[in-house]
Amino acid sequence: MLHMPRRLLASLAFSSILGSGPVAAEMTKSLNINGTTGLIDMPSGEAQDDATFSFSTAFVGPISRSTISFQITERLSGSFRFQTWRDWDTLFPGAASKYNNRSFDIRYQLLKEGQYLPSLTIGLIDFSGQGVFSSEYVAATKSFGDRVKVTAGLGWGRLGSYGSIGEVFGDRPPLTNGDNGTPNADQWFRGDAAPFAGVEVKLTDTWTFKGEYSSDAYLLEDDERGLIERDSPFNFGFEYQKGPNTRYGIYSLYGTEVGFVFHLVLDPKSRATGGVMGAAPVAVKARPPRAADPEAYDGGWVTQPDAGPLLRKNLAKRLAVDGIIIENLAYTAKTVQIRIRNNRIDAGSQAIGRTARALSHVMPASVEVFEIVPVVKGIGASKITIRRRDLERLEFAPNNATLLRERVTITDAGPLPANAVGDSNLYPKFRWGLRPDFRMPEPLKGEAGLRLSASYDFRPGLVLSGAVYGRLVGNVDRSGNPSSSVLPHVRTDGGRYSKFGNPGLERLTLAWYARPAPDFYSRITVGYLERMHAGVSGELLWKPVDSKLALGAELNYSKQRDTDGMLGFDEYDYDVVTGHVSAYYDFGNGFLGQLDVGKYLAGDIGATVSIDRVFVNGWRVGAFATVTDVSAEDFGSGGFDKGIRFTIPLNWALGDETTRNFSTTLRPSTGDGGARLNVDGRLYDSIRDYHSDALDPEWGRVWR
Amino acid sequence: MGQGVAVKAMIRLTAGIVALALLGACGSEKAEPSPIGRAVGNIAKATVSRVKARRSGAVAATPAPVTRADLEKFGLPILRAVIKVRGADAFLTMSDAKDNVVTWATTDGTTFTLRDGILIQTRGLGPDLMSAQVPSLGALLTNGGTYQRIYYQLGDNDQTTRRTYDCTVSVVGKETIEIFSRAHSVTRISEECVRPKESITNDYWVEGSVIRKSRQLASAGTGFIEFERVVD
Repeated sequence: MLHMPRRLLASLAFSSILGSGPVAAEMTKSLNINGTTGLIDMPSGEAQDDATFSFSTAFVGPISRSTISFQITERLSGSFRFQTWRDWDTLFPGAASKYNNRSFDIRYQLLKEGQYLPSLTIGLIDFSGQGVFSSEYVAATKSFGDRVKVTAGLGWGRLGSYGSIGEVFGDRPPLTNGDNGTPNADQWFRGDAAPFAGVEVKLTDTWTFKGEYSSDAYLLEDDERGLIERDSPFNFGFEYQKGPNTRYGIYSLYGTEVGFVFHLVLDPKSRATGGVMGAAPVAVKARPPRAADPEAYDGGWVTQPDAGPLLRKNLAKRLAVDGIIIENLAYTAKTVQIRIRNNRIDAGSQAIGRTARALSHVMPASVEVFEIVPVVKGIGASKITIRRRDLERLEFAPNNATLLRERVTITDAGPLPANAVGDSNLYPKFRWGLRPDFRMPEPLKGEAGLRLSASYDFRPGLVLSGAVYGRLVGNVDRSGNPSSSVLPHVRTDGGRYSKFGNPGLERLTLAWYARPAPDFYSRITVGYLERMHAGVSGELLWKPVDSKLALGAELNYSKQRDTDGMLGFDEYDYDVVTGHVSAYYDFGNGFLGQLDVGKYLAGDIGATVSIDRVFVNGWRVGAFATVTDVSAEDFGSGGFDKGIRFTIPLNWALGDETTRNFSTTLRPSTGDGGARLNVDGRLYDSIRDYHSDALDPEWGRVWR
Repeated sequence: MGQGVAVKAMIRLTAGIVALALLGACGSEKAEPSPIGRAVGNIAKATVSRVKARRSGAVAATPAPVTRADLEKFGLPILRAVIKVRGADAFLTMSDAKDNVVTWATTDGTTFTLRDGILIQTRGLGPDLMSAQVPSLGALLTNGGTYQRIYYQLGDNDQTTRRTYDCTVSVVGKETIEIFSRAHSVTRISEECVRPKESITNDYWVEGSVIRKSRQLASAGTGFIEFERVVD
């Protein structure tokens, strides 16, 4: 390309990361110190914008709270909170000095704000935990102009503990141990009810004043434990909004304490960079009109012996720019089938578009049909068939993505064509990497370390791979104490694995992926499957390319590994056969559901329900719950296994093309019941990316 | 006090992560440099150059002005694109031409595609114009003419979103403009486009039947781009 004066061109490259849309004028739907939509300590009737994902952390005297909230739908939102009370031994010398608690909230907006009607929300706080933070509420919020919002509500539980108007719906029964970790439905909206209220005034574009009358008497912290003095029901303070994503607050609380809060508010639906970054594609190459150059359309080139290697080489050069590798190339005079491995572009449709553009440059004019088969773990995931004429005609057409999709078919990958030209340099292939890794098993607790991984592809679908992880810094549990669980310690000895197995061998497996029949995918994995267990795992998945439903079955035999991160099995004399049948369903709008029924690691039998909301850009937020025949007492403090999980793609924040992401699962408590093997490379998520239910929502990127 | 410990732990953890990010990653797959490392690198570079500029007393680095002779010596058609809100200013060369559709590219992989000088696509800007229904040059040159204009871009969650405007063309009058010390007598044309709660105006300076200069909306996130056809 032409070298232009660089000083003038550089500006375009750099400034393109700065652009972002104007900030909306309406008042922020603000969050409270509990990380949920509300005032200071009290909730409000509002809801966040659909899909808002927020992380909040607040410090009030000896109490700290960290909360992750997600606006699941326009009206429904959920929160997971991690709370620590320090100085817990103030009145009880000898007691533990710290008390930790994790809780779930859920809230539903019954009414959206109208011209006269306020928004109205009903919510449950800490609805399934040990009850130390439990309350229920209804709250209404009305805005007046674009600067003032007024909230009033009625609370139960903690929110009914000050200024009560009496028991509206009867007595609140105490929690028993058996309730622990299960929804405490007997208590909801029972006992004393008390009103609360507050006001929010927008002072400038960045500063907001908030004041509230709190109905939480802080009985636990003040009367029972003497952690704080609560003298006043009035809280007030200021909040500062810095950019669209961060908000800081400072408050006077209870008449005695100063509180600080920080909110990070993210919108998974829109990128921090305002759009998909990365270099422009090459233009589609136009063929000469047939009438003008009929010879160009002659198919005689297929008989040339060097045609295959040459085309392959030219294609590989063009596709390498986008991190796309050619697994196989097969052609006739009229049709080409290219099997690609997409290593970098996060949207499958964009990788398909780039491949089609490259084909338009390299394939002789007689080739009319492009078949693109994305290969995942050595197996074809689907076949996207594009007519070359459509590509040429629609390149500059208005709404070209939609028009192209109408003319493209997505079908089962089918077998590898007999005349496929492979690349003898692709297999066997050794790869290795040394990468930093960050894990966050609970809010504000995490560790960072290095992972050395390597893999050896013998042939497509047959991979030997392993990883060693070493922690460098972190504050996760590594006490080294065995857990007190009465079940086999299939998960709860994590602290021992962290302490004794650093660095440790995480995985060392031989995996074989295959397509035994159309619409069927299989996996067999043998070896050190995960940090705590080793054995053999087999999986079969049925997933037609255009089906919203998928069915799967998994069967495993595993032995528990030693905690030292080495190869032995001496510490635990434990082996088990586990297995599940699974159903997966795509509900549309990005909601994926999964049901697994089977036998879990501790030998317990039960079912797991999970639901995830996935976004085109790779964001994913979900929740799961497992109920098995293990009793709540045996499971431990959480009652049953449940949690939330989320994935944040790095390209969302950085605007780059990369498939790397940050992913974590948070549980209120870890037990040994309801545990499954963490096998790498489960089939559904690998395959689905290139099926129509995943490609269609992101199809707009085919021309990107 | 305990609070201090928690904050300290967090700071330590963050410092560790940043250190790791700076270390980047290494391995046999060279195609994937660490994006965090690169972003941090970019920011560091930008900061360094700003600090340097401040030290040397300059308000901003002002490059020597480019002259027409500089541009003509390449012997290639050149289009200048300016995005004011981003402070971006670039000279583009043709990377593809099919009939009346020309794609112009920067050296760093940003492209602008124009049909008869009317913007129909951008790539590499982030909030790109993915495709557009635009008037023909003939319609644009017809005083009082009306038509529909549709912009397609990737909106929330990468979904194709459309904005439809009703547009009216008006000929403002004859003008003489200067582009890199060459005078052009042009007809100024104003294209006013409205949709509920929004109106935009694209401006064109037409010399004969060539759009010599224009100011056209690309997308909501990018705003307006000014084009000057510097060298034919």
